[in-house]
Amino acid sequence: MRVLITGAASGLGRALTEELLRQGHQVVAADRETDSLENMPMAHRGSCTIRFVDLESADSIQRLLASFQGQQPFDQVFLNAGISATGKFEEIPAAAYEKLIAVNLFAPIYLASRLVGKELMARNSRIVFISSLSHAMGYPGASVYAATKDGLAAYARCVDKPFRKERVRVLTVFPGPINTAHAKRHAPEGSKASKRMAPQKMAKLILRAAKGKSKTYYPGSKAYFGALFGKMMPGLATRLMRRGIYDKLKGPVY
Amino acid sequence: MAEKDARPHTVLVTGATDGIGLLLARAYAKRSHHVLATGRRGIANDEEFFKFPNITYVTADQSDPRHAASTILAIMQDMGWEKLDLAILNGATAWTGPPYDEPINTIGDQLKVNLTSPIHLILALTPMLHAAQGRLVMIGSTSINKGHGQFATYVATKAALNGLSRSLREEWRGKANVMIIHPGPTRTRMHAKAGLNLRFVRLFFMSPKKVARAIQVAIRRGNEGRKIITRFGCFMARFSWAGKGQL
Repeated sequence: MRVLITGAASGLGRALTEELLRQGHQVVAADRETDSLENMPMAHRGSCTIRFVDLESADSIQRLLASFQGQQPFDQVFLNAGISATGKFEEIPAAAYEKLIAVNLFAPIYLASRLVGKELMARNSRIVFISSLSHAMGYPGASVYAATKDGLAAYARCVDKPFRKERVRVLTVFPGPINTAHAKRHAPEGSKASKRMAPQKMAKLILRAAKGKSKTYYPGSKAYFGALFGKMMPGLATRLMRRGIYDKLKGPVY
Repeated sequence: MAEKDARPHTVLVTGATDGIGLLLARAYAKRSHHVLATGRRGIANDEEFFKFPNITYVTADQSDPRHAASTILAIMQDMGWEKLDLAILNGATAWTGPPYDEPINTIGDQLKVNLTSPIHLILALTPMLHAAQGRLVMIGSTSINKGHGQFATYVATKAALNGLSRSLREEWRGKANVMIIHPGPTRTRMHAKAGLNLRFVRLFFMSPKKVARAIQVAIRRGNEGRKIITRFGCFMARFSWAGKGQL
């Protein structure tokens, strides 16, 4: 199986890459920081191609797409790369929000629209958008991050039918907190890392869901019940998120 | 606005040269509020176009978010506005067609006009909105509920606004009221501008006048989110993308 992963150098992307390599697949790992990918343990059976991409720049994405021309099509694509900006809405500069929209929304939309229907995706392939549990819960303290993840989830819902016509199925994943450097940077002080899911476990769950038939997936029981709660009592869920996160934030991190 | 029409309020309406925005700008002007209307187009004579002396128009192209926000802020300072009671972020653009054919500039344009620009604007207006304990109103779309295969990026931007309003409402509790209103399919020129010929289906869409009126009621009530729909119109909208309808 040939797989593309964006944001493959760290966090969930890294875990996905390593798990797929362990299973013996062919992985194209795209990220802005390619150094840490080159030090990947060689014990894996699969083969890894490292590609540089700066998802803030449309030109860089275009170059990445050009490098796929004439190559074997992908069976799975994980549009995983994402960044965040936490703090009070008005304390974060507009430039940080522009970056957030570019990486979390523009890049996956652009990549998906250029991969599907262009012979870059194999028949019956899968495209996976990584949204966030904030889609169900709201996220005061990272309102624009939540906005981009909501936008991505909506985009995935919209393209489900048109992509299906092109023999590509869509999966949207809504992961809760994962124990990564990214989460540690953005979580309020004093939050427990042990409450977050290990990226390796998350990667396994997501890969299993990508093999299945579902269109959306909330990995783990916590995310599942969180989503249920958020859908049934959206106002209360967002208010609790405010208590748990927004009120505890020290200062803006972007 | 708790004390209804107690004093002339300051009102901002973006995307006010056409459709719902234009009707809203006129409606608030009619109630003798001070209205600042913005849009992409250049208009030679404000008063002649809007038919109200208390509407000021400024050209602010939202496809350049930074410039649009600073232009609007500058004109507000020129007019001596210290508070902003009501900001209606209505301006939006759309493109219609299969998602895998969407040109890169229209993806970028929709994100800029519909999402980045409102964010820039909210950042610029925050102090004035907080000073007035004002109301920030975003205009969404009911299409975010089920999605729409031919409007994918547009729906994504509207869903993003929905998410933004949900979290920001909680953040700004006690400082200003944030809300989003989702109009259903409305008989405005947006669909034609987006490149979609609706043909007879257009007849079943809601009249912009009624939608604008419903939006005003929703703004007065100030609840978190409000959908404005007619069931049959939404049902008929499903047939609007018949494909051949492309201009």
